[in-house]
Amino acid sequence: MDTQLLASGVIFGLSIGSIYFLMAIGLSLCFGLMRIISLDQLFYYAVGAYITYTISVYSGSVWLGALGGMIVAAVCAFAVERFIFLRIYERDIAFTMITSFGILIGGVGIIKAIWGLAPRPVLMPIMTQWTILGTEVPVYRLIVILIAALVYGLIWVFLNKTIIGKAIRAGIESVEHVEGLGINVYRLFTITFIIAGTLSGLAGGLHAPLIMVDPNMGLEVMPFIFMVVIIGGLGSIKGTLISALIVGQVFSIGALIYAPLAQMAPFAIMLLILLIKPTGLYGSKLLKR
Amino acid sequence: MNTFRWWRGILLAFFLLAIIRVFLPLPFSNEIIIFSIYVMGCSFLLGRVGFISFGQPAYLATGAYATAFYLFYFGANPFIGILIGVVAGLVMSLIVGPLFVRLRSDYFALVNLALAVIFYYTMQKVLAPITQGDNGLWFLANMTSTPIIDITRPKEFFTFAFLAALAIWALFKYLNDTLYGACALASKVNEDKVQFLGYSNFKIRFFGFIVANVTTAFAGSLYAIYLGFVSPEITSAHRCADPVVVTILGGVGTLYGPLVGAIAFTGMKDLIAGLIGNWELFIGFLLVFIMLAGEKGIWGSLEPQLKKVFSGKRV
Repeated sequence: MDTQLLASGVIFGLSIGSIYFLMAIGLSLCFGLMRIISLDQLFYYAVGAYITYTISVYSGSVWLGALGGMIVAAVCAFAVERFIFLRIYERDIAFTMITSFGILIGGVGIIKAIWGLAPRPVLMPIMTQWTILGTEVPVYRLIVILIAALVYGLIWVFLNKTIIGKAIRAGIESVEHVEGLGINVYRLFTITFIIAGTLSGLAGGLHAPLIMVDPNMGLEVMPFIFMVVIIGGLGSIKGTLISALIVGQVFSIGALIYAPLAQMAPFAIMLLILLIKPTGLYGSKLLKR
Repeated sequence: MNTFRWWRGILLAFFLLAIIRVFLPLPFSNEIIIFSIYVMGCSFLLGRVGFISFGQPAYLATGAYATAFYLFYFGANPFIGILIGVVAGLVMSLIVGPLFVRLRSDYFALVNLALAVIFYYTMQKVLAPITQGDNGLWFLANMTSTPIIDITRPKEFFTFAFLAALAIWALFKYLNDTLYGACALASKVNEDKVQFLGYSNFKIRFFGFIVANVTTAFAGSLYAIYLGFVSPEITSAHRCADPVVVTILGGVGTLYGPLVGAIAFTGMKDLIAGLIGNWELFIGFLLVFIMLAGEKGIWGSLEPQLKKVFSGKRV
């Protein structure tokens, strides 16, 4: 394999990994703090992508669309959290998993009702290409990577420097103690859920120009997101970042070596990691509440 | 008298099913029967052993593909095909079982999902020369008629599937009544105490895993023979949660839940798809509603009412 192919493969893998990371971070935070597995993040992802499509058709700007997608996804997340999740935080994980799957399926139905079944294309906002190591690289992919890095930085600052972020981190360790300090944990839950939904919407908006937007896009990407979260360990931000990078690279470089391997290789790696370390790379001992 | 009481529930349910067959078209009844066998495995796993699995299509596909390989490349007897499908399911669960049942319930669900996805891509891309990729294996014409009950014809296939479902129901009812069923339920509720009593959680779960997945593989073989073709579509990620949804719809861990759920799910899918063409919306919100309303499902809510009606005199 020559360096040109390798370089474009690495960039491709990084951009895919960035999008997976943006989605997985929400799932991971939700699991860490609320002990729920929120499959409906994939619905916000699809919502983000569809809003991006609609706004970019009318205004011509994908960036504006991605912003709108984030806002609408956040509103959806807030509504779902208020009406459904608030009632089921106390239940066990399997329960939240099934309920959120119901939301996801219902959401797919809503999307089909509004936008129809046909896949829609979204134009790439920046068509220019840069030459890196003798290979043409689309600038858009580099921007996606940059945005993901920025989000990681912001999340890090939010969790480590602000008082709400510190409360969230403490809540991941022990919710009872946080509650004992007089902090309203349900408000923390709401904030975390909205952040997760917003990031999923952003991921959808950024992913839309790279793929076709279709109603089942959430279900298609679901196994990969879960793989990222599981390899990294549920509840760990650093683990999520590292596993998203691993999965992205395995995905794109696997495709260079032997095309049918691309979709399968990450799953084989996940099985291997889980068998060696059943809690994922950075997963904690996962106490049941 | 005791034996009669033991059989009464099952026979009544299947008598009703036979009546349904008279009123509804044959493909619908066949679909219901196979689907309810498929869901039975998942329901047992979720309700008795306490494992939620999003990867049942992997085991369904194991059975279906084993049958399809036999009928496409080697032989022509559909019964031997079914036998091979069941054996393949057994081998599959013996291989992956010891690795999977050690995991906690939520990881178990996702690892199974991963297995289903691996299976999908293996069948679609990696083994494409053998499985013919997305085109699937067509072998309807390869099957020969069998002497006593000719399962290549839909009508007699229904009889066969009906009897098989009856046998499987009896098996699961028997399992629920045995010491094993009690142990499985106990290990779902509190594994430490089960261990304290001297039972092995691992063995209980492993056995449950095998029973459930062999049942699922059997349903897969039935699908293969009924449809006469197999394509990777049956293990695609879109359909991964169908059995879980139907289990919840019918009522978790109840004996008749899978049957009721399968009828309701297949019926709603056909009905709503015909009316408004958007069944996901309905199923999704129904699922959320059932979960919020106490996760008892259709049968789980009906059962106490029916019991009240039927035993009204004695109380």
